[in-house]
Amino acid sequence: MDNEVYAYALKNTLDEIQKICPDIKNAFVLTKNRELIARDEDTPEKTITRAVSAFEEMLEKAQAIGGVEDVTIEGINGRLNVSRLDEIYLVTVTSKQADLEYVNTVTHVIVPTVLRLLEKLSPAPLKKNPPTPDIEPEEPAVERDEEPETGWVEEPETDKHQEQLEPTEKSETILPETPVNQLIVEDLKGLLAPSDTVRIDSNIIEEWNELYEDWTIEEADIETFSGKSTRCKVKPIKDAKLDGKGKIQIPSKVQLTLDVKKGELVRVKPAVE
Amino acid sequence: MVKKKKDTVEITTVSEPTLIETADYESNLRANLEEIKKYDGVVGYILRNTTSASIDLKDPTKIIDYAILSSTAFDATEEVSDLFKLGRVKNIIVNGKNVRMLSLTVEENKISIFMENNADTKKVLEKLKAS
Repeated sequence: MDNEVYAYALKNTLDEIQKICPDIKNAFVLTKNRELIARDEDTPEKTITRAVSAFEEMLEKAQAIGGVEDVTIEGINGRLNVSRLDEIYLVTVTSKQADLEYVNTVTHVIVPTVLRLLEKLSPAPLKKNPPTPDIEPEEPAVERDEEPETGWVEEPETDKHQEQLEPTEKSETILPETPVNQLIVEDLKGLLAPSDTVRIDSNIIEEWNELYEDWTIEEADIETFSGKSTRCKVKPIKDAKLDGKGKIQIPSKVQLTLDVKKGELVRVKPAVE
Repeated sequence: MVKKKKDTVEITTVSEPTLIETADYESNLRANLEEIKKYDGVVGYILRNTTSASIDLKDPTKIIDYAILSSTAFDATEEVSDLFKLGRVKNIIVNGKNVRMLSLTVEENKISIFMENNADTKKVLEKLKAS
């Protein structure tokens, strides 16, 4: 998959996000080197170029605080947000009446999901380092001769992985790359709520179970953007109003451990090792 | 001539209370900043206006880096706000890996508060708005 396809997929993602969140007036995606990858139809390239150049120096000087993870500019008519999602910067401009929790849920769930999907279909063109051999060797060596009908799997890469794996011969259980989800913290209250269990979207647990077929995911690692992390038991969200909305219900004790509060973002990944 | 004299008198009477208010506001703002500095996770602040600047950071080695960051953030925001029609900027939050910077302009004062990522930004903002 080349950069063009990657950009096309991201552009479509931005357009779809704007359809479900009309309060997002502008959206575009930049690489870590501030090169434009994709933009929505309403944002002229010239405007983005000027915005990037305006931000350039600030992003450089932000090394003083460890590099930028997130920037929010709140104006009386709207808000601009720059979020760093792994290898990219996602920039959104929302109107003043936007439901920020909803916007964040949509953008911080959909875009990373699409990025992960693109990376799975093909090694990410935006990442300079190709994936290490112990990541994603999904096809067993026996099936190597069978040509995939769709052509989605890139043969040369697969072969390279397998050639590198062959010397070790006894292939141990090789796990796929651990997916990381960014979720918004919700309180988990109730007398019967165990203090060591978090609840997340049922579809995320399903995805994990599909990804790790031979494993039952019972625990997850939760990490805050300030670097604090903990491992908890994980179960699907019971409350239908919260399920599927990119939320994670965390008991107050765990919130204290992580130093997070309702509405904040955390990274969650399955504990599989 | 008579008119001019009258005008002068009016200006004088108006400007006196304003000066007092400004002085009150300045001292109030500084007092609030001193209080904010004591909040959990706050590592310091930079206050700039047209005539002076005060910097109070727990780690003095960061003074120049933080001052430049604060200044570039205000400059960048001005341009970006025009580009995307954000209107008058209420505040800027830059979350770094190690430190968060909250910046805002109040009257002629450009304020940047530096804090750890787990500090209570909302509490700091409320205190500043109360100035």
